[in-house]
Amino acid sequence: MEQNPRPRTVLETCGEEIIRIVTPVSICMLLVVILVSVLNRGSSLDDGLSFATMATMAYSESSSDSIWDKLKGALLNSLVFVAVVTVATFLMVLLFYFKCTKFLKYYMGFSSLLVLGFMGGEIAIFLIKASSFPVDCFTFAVALYNFTVVGVMAVFLSRMAIFVTQAYLVVIGVLVAYWFTLLPEWTTWGLLVAMSLYDLAAVLLPGGPLRLLVELAMDRDEDIPALVYEARPVISDAGLGDGVVRRRVWREGRGDFDEDQRLRSDLVPGSSLRTYIYGESESERNIVDAEDGRALGGDSELAAPLMQHINIRMNSLENAVSSENLALEGIGLGSSGAIKLGLGDFIFYSVLVGRAAMYDFMTVYACYLAVIAGLGITLLLLAFYRKALPALPFSVLLGVLFYLLTRLLLESFVVQCSINLLMF
Amino acid sequence: MDDDSRVPLSNLHAAGNLLPTTGEASSSTSRSVRTEWPTIDGPLGLSHEESLTYARRFFKLGFLCLPFLWAVSCFYFWPVLRNPRSQQSHPRLRRYLVGSAIGFFLFTTILSSWALTFAIGGERLFGHVWGELVMYNVAEKYGLAGWI
Repeated sequence: MEQNPRPRTVLETCGEEIIRIVTPVSICMLLVVILVSVLNRGSSLDDGLSFATMATMAYSESSSDSIWDKLKGALLNSLVFVAVVTVATFLMVLLFYFKCTKFLKYYMGFSSLLVLGFMGGEIAIFLIKASSFPVDCFTFAVALYNFTVVGVMAVFLSRMAIFVTQAYLVVIGVLVAYWFTLLPEWTTWGLLVAMSLYDLAAVLLPGGPLRLLVELAMDRDEDIPALVYEARPVISDAGLGDGVVRRRVWREGRGDFDEDQRLRSDLVPGSSLRTYIYGESESERNIVDAEDGRALGGDSELAAPLMQHINIRMNSLENAVSSENLALEGIGLGSSGAIKLGLGDFIFYSVLVGRAAMYDFMTVYACYLAVIAGLGITLLLLAFYRKALPALPFSVLLGVLFYLLTRLLLESFVVQCSINLLMF
Repeated sequence: MDDDSRVPLSNLHAAGNLLPTTGEASSSTSRSVRTEWPTIDGPLGLSHEESLTYARRFFKLGFLCLPFLWAVSCFYFWPVLRNPRSQQSHPRLRRYLVGSAIGFFLFTTILSSWALTFAIGGERLFGHVWGELVMYNVAEKYGLAGWI
């Protein structure tokens, strides 16, 4: 094995991994902010959905209610939503326990179809209306059909270019996040806080559904299909020959990697997708993620498909030789330390920033920084603790805090300064 | 000779068939080991045998009115498509890719000429039918934008 001409420092490898996960999160947030600013220009701030969805079942907010009513309503809505999500997650654990993996896979494909096809189509129609773009229905239908079918294929049916898969996952995140920003304001914030608390509970408590799911999957060494964003792993600079050799070494289970590799492989955050990560030296197990569900669509029929997605990347030694493709996939993407972040995280981060965008761009900047800082803290903790960690709590709670501070305190300060031509 | 399906083609050097390095990860490789990967993902992508299967599947599925799939297939196997010497090394794969590329261009030409005629011609060319075909009116008529 030839020597690396220039040994990569820990900072380089860690930094590149982090960049590869922060970039798509930022892109997702940016797209949601753009969508929100373009499409919500006409409507008022407190305009919620006019019909009942799963998230507003308990209470439909209207702008004339008092603050206390809105608070109670938001709390009620969030509780209902979290309850539904918990039930759905437990259902998924049950299905997985009874080995209905195919069903889960098809269900996941069906939900991506719904999201890309229906929600994507609707948002495209909104955009067309807003810009009066003269496209005819045939072209639109063909384009939407292409987009949807290739998206479903890229996300779960067949293997495709990593870039294409990642792009489609980000698009799915954007679409679902935009739908969430259509909820009434207090409900949205209540939902965010409730989901991060649920995340915390479901991952860290011993009885939490996601933890159960992850442990089940690890016990069985199985792979559950899921909507999880996987960053491209950092391949060493020394050359493909090296890379291939290293891959084979991993397959044989030898643990002689340099510090860089092991540290890289530890940076896998969880989410409302949990991630178990073990360094290659400890066990050859790898990233396990799970994502909880969220309601889609407005009707109760559409609201049914909660996207429960679990992705388990196992890389156990025994499987490495037998199921070559799977093992190579696992080795290529999982064990080389690719960071995996669940789509639920993308969605809720973007919802937070999108909601902030509905007020003003100042809050957007503040919330964006808060979310990225929270993500950084989570990654740090993950490197420390090396077990499944929820990625929602830090970012969302920091984000909400910064939103409130900006809106209540910073804004008046900045506005007064600007009016008096003092600063800015 | 190992049975790793991802074995790089370094053993082809013995046959005097040097292939240029391709794929993203190989861009910074040391030149002493040259390998060729058929997909744009380099070592993270497919092996040669799998590539043929996938290229064939994409080509056939693209006939279901899916030019985007052909485009994605060309993108995915870009190293094979752009390298003229792969005619010798992957003749069948290349044939599917060239077919996909031609299909994509044809379909896109037809579709875009129709779309551009529609957009640019407008009411002058189509008369009142334009108003019935344009998407935002169709959406209004059928209430397509009201679900969300």
